[in-house]
Amino acid sequence: MLSYILRRIVATLPVMAIVALFVFSLLYIAPGDPAVVIAGDQASPEDVERIRQSLGLDRPFLVQFGSWVWRILHGDLGTSIFTNLPVSTMIGQRLGPTLSLMIVTLLLTIVVAVPLGVVAAWKAGSLIDRAIMGFAVFGFSLPVFVVGYMLAYIFALELEWLPVQGYTPMAAGFWPWLENLILPAIALGCVYIALVARITRAAMLEVLQQDYIRTAKAKGMGQGGILFIHGLKNAAVPIVTVIGIGIALLIGGAVVTESVFAIPGLGRLTIDAILRRDYPVIQGIVLLFSFVYVLVNLMIDVTYTLVDPRIRY
Amino acid sequence: MDRRTVLKGLASAGGMALTGGLAAPALAQGAAARTLRFVPQANLANFDPIWGTQYVVRNAAAMVWDTLYGIDSSFQPQRQMVESEEVTDDGTTWTFKLRPGLKFHDGEPVLSKDVVASLTRWAARDPMGLMIKAVQQELTAVDDRTFKWVLKQPFPKLLFALGKNNAPCAFIMPERVAQTDPFKQISEYIGSGPMKFAKGEWVPGAKAVFERFADYSPRQEKPSWFAGGKQVMVDRVEWVIMPDPATAAAALQNGEVDWWENPIADLVPVLKKNKNISVDIGDPLGNIGSFRMNFLYPPFNDVKARRAVLMALSQEDYMRAIVGDDNSLWKSLPGYFTPDTPLYTEMGGEILKGKRDFDAAKKLLAESGYSGQPVTCLVAQDQPITKAMGDVTADLLKKLGMNVDFVATDWGTVGARRAQKTPPGQGGWNMFHTWHAGGDCVNPAPYTAIRATGDKAWFGWPTSPSTEKEVASWFEAKNLDEEKAAIGRLNKAAMDDVVYAPTGFFLNYTAWRKNVSGVAKGPVPLFWGVSKSA
Repeated sequence: MLSYILRRIVATLPVMAIVALFVFSLLYIAPGDPAVVIAGDQASPEDVERIRQSLGLDRPFLVQFGSWVWRILHGDLGTSIFTNLPVSTMIGQRLGPTLSLMIVTLLLTIVVAVPLGVVAAWKAGSLIDRAIMGFAVFGFSLPVFVVGYMLAYIFALELEWLPVQGYTPMAAGFWPWLENLILPAIALGCVYIALVARITRAAMLEVLQQDYIRTAKAKGMGQGGILFIHGLKNAAVPIVTVIGIGIALLIGGAVVTESVFAIPGLGRLTIDAILRRDYPVIQGIVLLFSFVYVLVNLMIDVTYTLVDPRIRY
Repeated sequence: MDRRTVLKGLASAGGMALTGGLAAPALAQGAAARTLRFVPQANLANFDPIWGTQYVVRNAAAMVWDTLYGIDSSFQPQRQMVESEEVTDDGTTWTFKLRPGLKFHDGEPVLSKDVVASLTRWAARDPMGLMIKAVQQELTAVDDRTFKWVLKQPFPKLLFALGKNNAPCAFIMPERVAQTDPFKQISEYIGSGPMKFAKGEWVPGAKAVFERFADYSPRQEKPSWFAGGKQVMVDRVEWVIMPDPATAAAALQNGEVDWWENPIADLVPVLKKNKNISVDIGDPLGNIGSFRMNFLYPPFNDVKARRAVLMALSQEDYMRAIVGDDNSLWKSLPGYFTPDTPLYTEMGGEILKGKRDFDAAKKLLAESGYSGQPVTCLVAQDQPITKAMGDVTADLLKKLGMNVDFVATDWGTVGARRAQKTPPGQGGWNMFHTWHAGGDCVNPAPYTAIRATGDKAWFGWPTSPSTEKEVASWFEAKNLDEEKAAIGRLNKAAMDDVVYAPTGFFLNYTAWRKNVSGVAKGPVPLFWGVSKSA
């Protein structure tokens, strides 16, 4: 399997190259000019042009692209046009909050959505099933920012249980870290929980029709064992797949969630960079996200071997 | 590789992330009583106040870098870093002496050579600095505390230029920093102001931290805007960047931040109801809304078309779109200068007063030769102020019978496109919306938008020789009466030629927790004199 993983990692290189070319071209033709934003509203056209020249933005496309690729090959993502900080530093500053948010959301989703889906399949057609699926539809329908504001209003402003905003690293303590992430994770996780619960239900319904389940029942196995040992394990492949695909959803949702809860993560960095046309930062983040997505897909493939011993690479 | 190996790998990777293996900023740690947590108007994306002239950069820089003079609330320049000055009778040679004991944050003394390098860099970017540079003979350090500025001709507004609070301000930096090309960014943020910038804690887009500078020696005078004793009462000022106003409002109510620079009008009623929060006008100089018409292309290359739009324009419509129904937040502005300031005038502003006359406006528009060609109107939708004004303008132009090409986009795109001098159908434009800080509109010196030098003027490239003549008159004025007379004539000339269309004057609130005291009104958030109780 090690050689399979290595092959897959090597295969990401052309993908990343295509992404890089695509992103660079897109930014080049997109309207907007970072020099204008830097110069400020009162700047003269001459000032703007001087800044463009000093940033090298007046150079031809191929020269700019070549210079960028050369730096990337040397492990240098470049320097932010605005902050004058290395892009890698800026991404490093933001990685912790986003990763924390995604991990908590992921755990919350698995802990809530999988049991809900299993129970819904077990009680298919009953009031419980309908209630869970109703909740799923609700979760799908509510925008992240609406859920976020509602949660902040109830649990932060009215009940004063949790903070409204911010992020505290785990180095400052587990609870301070977690308390800042609970509301954002619920807000971000709503759609994800709904998705995973529905897929779990569908997969479980199919598995529960299988002969071996009937056999297990005939042997007198308890309901818990049937559902979670024989049922869930055999339904795991589509569930794992959708959890992995959902990480892309999380990346997209994190942009909004981080803005609503003022979490200094990659999502906010992306938006700020786009609005200011901070090209090196945008390019660095897109490359990172592409790499993460490829990596997640690889991890999903590896995870298949954990849940289904028949799968071998 | 077996199942156990994979599981172990996953567990260790997760552990590393959770236990702080990855560096992360500390944003919401328990706030000490001597830490003031402040939500600024915008993100501090860069920190070179000469290279980047955004207001938010200027506001942060005012804590870190000091100026030779400081404008007070009566718009008079007062000594700040300077101990004394002398000027020759012909007004061409100025000799300045620095206060003793001034230190930079790295412990080095502030010397004349630092001042010379700083003023040289500033003068390359500032409109007033450029004017001084044009008449400069030499700027030299005489000794460690004395420097001399020799001019070819008098420049009566010199001290105002050195103390003005409009970006870029004449901030004093160490010589090695100030020698940076003015069109390139500095990377060392060492000043001699009352607070130090904690570069290591800076997370652009999220947080900026300023620490009290123990060696700062404030002046003994009472503080007044950029002048007087800048006595800092807290140990730290933390800027917490919050892009979402609703989150900022909730954080202020919840006591997670102490001061929010400019709450949006929609949320102010909620804040006013909270017994722990004070709300008041922050900057008494407010803002002037505007849209600019392109003088290079029809229809607005004809003054009749520009005046037709002005005749029909209702400033009340614009102001209500921006600030809502709170009448204390806006007023009509039949002129170009900030209300309630010494040079305010309404001379020539009759066209913006009284009932709007659409029939007369349509007639004038027809006389200009307008025949239904598209009018490209750029509107940044990500800025609530420009979006509100853009919607009102589109309605106004349609009522005038104009064919509106409404380009809804973001500020970054407007910023780039407005610099295009090509025809509107080829990437150019006919009008765009913006606003000006009232502090920039108190006189013509920092007021780029009022200049009408054609090709060299601000976007829209207005040409108005009579306006420029009166700008020169103001610069040459020797006393306030002469200044007022010049500004009256200037206002009329600019209004006659419609250098741009003022859409009204509006104010912003600021809000802070009641355990914070000493918040003063001013053109920038003033952190000196502000204290916080537990």
